[in-house]
Amino acid sequence: MNRKTVTTVICGVLFAVNVNAQVKSNDPYESFNRTMYDFNDGVDTYVASPLANGYRFVTPQFVQTGVFNFFNNLKGINVVLNDVLQAKFSQSAADLGRFTLNSTAGLGGFIDVAKHVGLDQNDEDFDQTLAVWGVPQGSYLVLPFVGPNTVRGAPASAFDAAANPASYASIVAYYVSAPVQFVSAVNARSNAEGALKFINEAAMDKYVFTRESFLQWRKNLEDDGKVSASIDDDLFADEKTVNLKSRDYGKQFEIAALSFGSVAQKFDLAIQNFEQANHKIEQLKNR
Amino acid sequence: MRLKKLAIVAFSLSSLFATSVFAQEESATARQIIDKFQTELVQVMKDGKKLGYVGRYDKLEPAVSNSHDLPKIARIVVGKEWEKLTEEQQKKLTDVFSKLSIASYAHNFKDFSGEAFAIDSEEETKMGGVVIHSHLNVPDDKPVKFDYMLKEKGASWRIINIIANGVSDLALKRSEYTAILQREGFDTLIAKINEKIDNYAKQ
Repeated sequence: MNRKTVTTVICGVLFAVNVNAQVKSNDPYESFNRTMYDFNDGVDTYVASPLANGYRFVTPQFVQTGVFNFFNNLKGINVVLNDVLQAKFSQSAADLGRFTLNSTAGLGGFIDVAKHVGLDQNDEDFDQTLAVWGVPQGSYLVLPFVGPNTVRGAPASAFDAAANPASYASIVAYYVSAPVQFVSAVNARSNAEGALKFINEAAMDKYVFTRESFLQWRKNLEDDGKVSASIDDDLFADEKTVNLKSRDYGKQFEIAALSFGSVAQKFDLAIQNFEQANHKIEQLKNR
Repeated sequence: MRLKKLAIVAFSLSSLFATSVFAQEESATARQIIDKFQTELVQVMKDGKKLGYVGRYDKLEPAVSNSHDLPKIARIVVGKEWEKLTEEQQKKLTDVFSKLSIASYAHNFKDFSGEAFAIDSEEETKMGGVVIHSHLNVPDDKPVKFDYMLKEKGASWRIINIIANGVSDLALKRSEYTAILQREGFDTLIAKINEKIDNYAKQ
């Protein structure tokens, strides 16, 4: 068997395995994801939450809002870029106006002046751009320190980070970079306090609750907030639901593998390696 | 940021349910059902502090019962697992699920700071239902979209799902409930629901 044939067979096996996994649900890596979720939960409980609480305690509300506005405004460049990539040209003009106004009259973004003149913030990112281009969402992924994501969203986040000026604070001064990213992260965690409290109160299974609401929320962003009248029709078809969904996911993955190609497969492979590594660690622990 | 937005969606989802034992079979359109329910909900929010948790629960029980089809929702949230339950288990699930739904409303809609519902439009579904598109105006924040899905019941209509900012409560609950049923069984599911009801009452 020559190298090309071997590669084809391996790709074929990978594809078959992944299609089967995908048919089972939109979360074929649940075991890995739950491990990561628990890890993030631990980091949050012992590191992020105390830091965020301390930050809220010592930082006045108007400063917290200012910090949020500053980083949010920098994200405006991403929004404009993704507006254009999605061919939403009039929206891109409004978002550019918003960014310019806040960067100037809003004192570098610390004050959200645009909100008060009726320029509402649009929420666009590269993950949504990929969706517009026809790339399916792919499997659910929980990343260490980062949290919920998808096979499509993870590389898209890297693109967004590359387009965000906050990522290049080190170019201005190396010693500024870490504090800037740190304040951004602590402030984001501080803002998430209400969400986490709600999840703790309402969720019967926090992992499933987070996964489902995240995936639905992202889907809604892709659809620009439009809710179809038939959004949940399949839920009322009872027994038919599972089969319909399974077929749908199988088809989605087939399209994903074809259009997203090597990126998605490499991610899937990397996750399998993670899972195998985790399994081995568990085996070692049990010895 | 994502978690913050998730929070808004999640908080919005805290709307749902009650027993339909006392449901009145009076004739009403889907829009009228939603309008009446939202009015009653806002009134409870306005009186929230004065009423306390028990007072809000008592006020919301008939309001939710007369607008939601809780037995049907309870059946849908466990999917095909419903058929595997005994008649007694089905009754138990419907009962605790209804209590949880009212408790969730009573816990989350406890005060008022100028919020107001507004109905935008209505739409028929392919499955013979109606979707009422509405939103909740929240002072100094973005409005929250509420899309109510209703099905005909007798001469009237009943809510069977609420989609808040694009997140379907029914789909969310179905994922959770079926996962727990399949992994941990019926008794654990009931215990977890009762635990949530107790926690809502304490806070």
